[in-house]
Amino acid sequence: MLYEFKMPVIVPQMSGATIECLYSARDDALRLGSKLMDLSVDLSSAFAQECPPVSFYRLVLREAVYLRQIDVQPGQHCALGERIALFSTDPTEPIDQDATRQVRCTIAGIIHHDGMWTGSHS
Amino acid sequence: MNGIPLRFGPLMSDGYTIVRSGLRWLRETGQFCRAGQPIAYCNISLEPSSVRVGRNHAVADELELQVVFAPRVSGRLTIHPEMTRGGYLSIRGVDAWKPDTVLGLIEPDQPVDESDPGRLRLLVVAGRRMTALADVHSGLLPGWNGRTRGWWCEDGETPATLLSLGLCDATGVILGEQCAFLEMFEAASDAMQFVFIPDHPVAPCAPVLLDQLSRTPAQFEAIAEDLRRFLGNSTVPPTADDWMFAGALLAVLRNTPLKDNYNIISSTGTQRLGPADAVLLSLSAEPQSILRHRTLGYHIHVMRHHQAAAGPAIQAWLTSAFEPVKRSIDAIRRDYEKLIDTLARTTGGRILVLNRMSTSGYEDISSYMAFDAPMSDTLSNIAAKELNLMLHDIAETRELAIIDVDALAAELGAGQHLPDGIHQSGQMQVVLRQQILQAVSDMRVTAPDVRAAGRDH
Repeated sequence: MLYEFKMPVIVPQMSGATIECLYSARDDALRLGSKLMDLSVDLSSAFAQECPPVSFYRLVLREAVYLRQIDVQPGQHCALGERIALFSTDPTEPIDQDATRQVRCTIAGIIHHDGMWTGSHS
Repeated sequence: MNGIPLRFGPLMSDGYTIVRSGLRWLRETGQFCRAGQPIAYCNISLEPSSVRVGRNHAVADELELQVVFAPRVSGRLTIHPEMTRGGYLSIRGVDAWKPDTVLGLIEPDQPVDESDPGRLRLLVVAGRRMTALADVHSGLLPGWNGRTRGWWCEDGETPATLLSLGLCDATGVILGEQCAFLEMFEAASDAMQFVFIPDHPVAPCAPVLLDQLSRTPAQFEAIAEDLRRFLGNSTVPPTADDWMFAGALLAVLRNTPLKDNYNIISSTGTQRLGPADAVLLSLSAEPQSILRHRTLGYHIHVMRHHQAAAGPAIQAWLTSAFEPVKRSIDAIRRDYEKLIDTLARTTGGRILVLNRMSTSGYEDISSYMAFDAPMSDTLSNIAAKELNLMLHDIAETRELAIIDVDALAAELGAGQHLPDGIHQSGQMQVVLRQQILQAVSDMRVTAPDVRAAGRDH
C-alpha cells in the first residue's frame, strides 16, 4: 500500500514551508516514531512586518513504512499540498500507482538547531 | 455651541522657552473622544531663555521631542483648524508655548466632575536617534530611535518609570499601534514614564544586560577597537550594511539603559528622575544558545532576522570572533537571579517579565516516545513550560512580577490572539497593558518609599 506526504496546513495562515533538514533517505525502513524531516514556516508574507514570525516543526512518523521517494532538499520551499515523499508498506511494492492516503505523522513545534538550513545558509 | 474650550495648560523647562510647531490632528471635528484619548500633537524645541544656559538643555540628546494632547473628559470634539500651520510650520517650532492656547472645544457626553476639565492632559514623547542621520519628519516619534520615552504627570507629581527591554511581545504592548505610548497614556492616569529600547541589533537577554551593567569605558573601547581592527583587516571588504550594523552595534553596547537617569519637562519645570523603577523583560529573549566573544568574553544575541541586516564582513566577524555557548534552563535562571540581585543592589529597580506561550493548537503529539530527553532541548512548548516554571521558582525567593502571557492567551484563544506565540492581537495587548500597570501599582504598594510617585534624583 502506498502512502504519501503532502505539505499539510500546520498554521492556518501559511502558504508553504521550507525544508530545514532530512533525517531519512530513499529506501530507508522507518519505524513508528522515526523522524522524517524538520520544516520551518515563515508567516512574513501573511503578516507583513520586519520581525518575521518563523516557527520550526518536526515531522515524526506514527506508522512503520518504507520511504520510497523523497523529492526535496534542505532549503527548498514547498507549497501547501505539494507532494514531498512517497511511502510503501512493502519495500518492493511498485510505486507507479496512486497513494492510498496521507502517511500518519505527528507535527511538533521544535527549537531551532544547528543542523537546520536556516541559520547556516540564510 | 456650549463646548468646553480645550487649552494647552502649562509646560516648562527650567532656563528654556518651549517653542512648538503647528498641530497635527489625530481626531477630527464631530468625532467622539474618550477621556485621555490623544487628539493632536506638535513638535517642540527648547530655546535658551538667556545666553548663560547654552543649548545643553534637559533633553539635548533627544532630537525628537513632541507633545500629545488629550481631553480629560469624554465628548464630541470641535477642532480649531487654524492650529494646523501646514508644511514645515507643522514640523518646526514657530510659536512659543502659551498655556492658554485653545485648540478646540469638547461637548461632554456626561456630567463633568473634573475640577479643570478644559485643561488638556499632556503626554511628552522623546526619541534619541540611533543616528542623527535618521531625520524623518513624519508622524509621532519618527525615524530610527535607539531609545524612546513618553511621560505624563500632574502638577507636583513625579512619574514612576518603567523601562521596556523586551522583544515584539513587549513592543506592541508598551508602544501601542502608533509607536508613541498613546494607549498606555490613555490607560494610566497615574504619573508614569515609559522608556522603550528596541531589540536591534542586540536582543536584551539577561547576559547582555549583565554585561552592560558591569562594562567599564576601557572594556567598551576594547570592544570597539576589536571591531575596528577586524573590519580594517578583513579579507571580505566591508559594505555599507557592515558599517551601519557596526555603528548600531557599538551605539547599543556603549549604553546601559538600566542605569539611565532621565530629565523630564513638566507643568512645573524640569525634573530629574533616577533609573527605572520597573524593568519589563521578555522571557522569549532568552536564547538557548548565545554568542560569547572568544577573547573579550562579552555576550551578544542577534536575532536571525537582524543578522540578515549585516553585510558579509560582520557576518564573518560574528562567525570567527564569537563562539556559541549553550544555556541550560538552570543557566538562564542563574542569569535572571543575578540580574535581579544586581539591579536591586545598584538601582533599586524591580523586574517584570512576560512569560512564554507554552501550548499550540497546531501540534498533534500523541506520543513523546519519539523525542529524546531532555525534551526541552527539542520541543519548544516543553521548553516554554519549563522556563515559565523557572520564573515561578525565582519568584519564591526574589522580587519578580510575572506577566502571565501563557494563561492569558489560553483564556482569550491563542489561535485568534497569539497565532505565532509572540505577536499579540490588539485585544490581548489591552489586557496585557492592564496587567503591567497593575504590577507597577502593586510595586508602589509594597515599596511606597520608592515607588509612590517614582524617584527624584
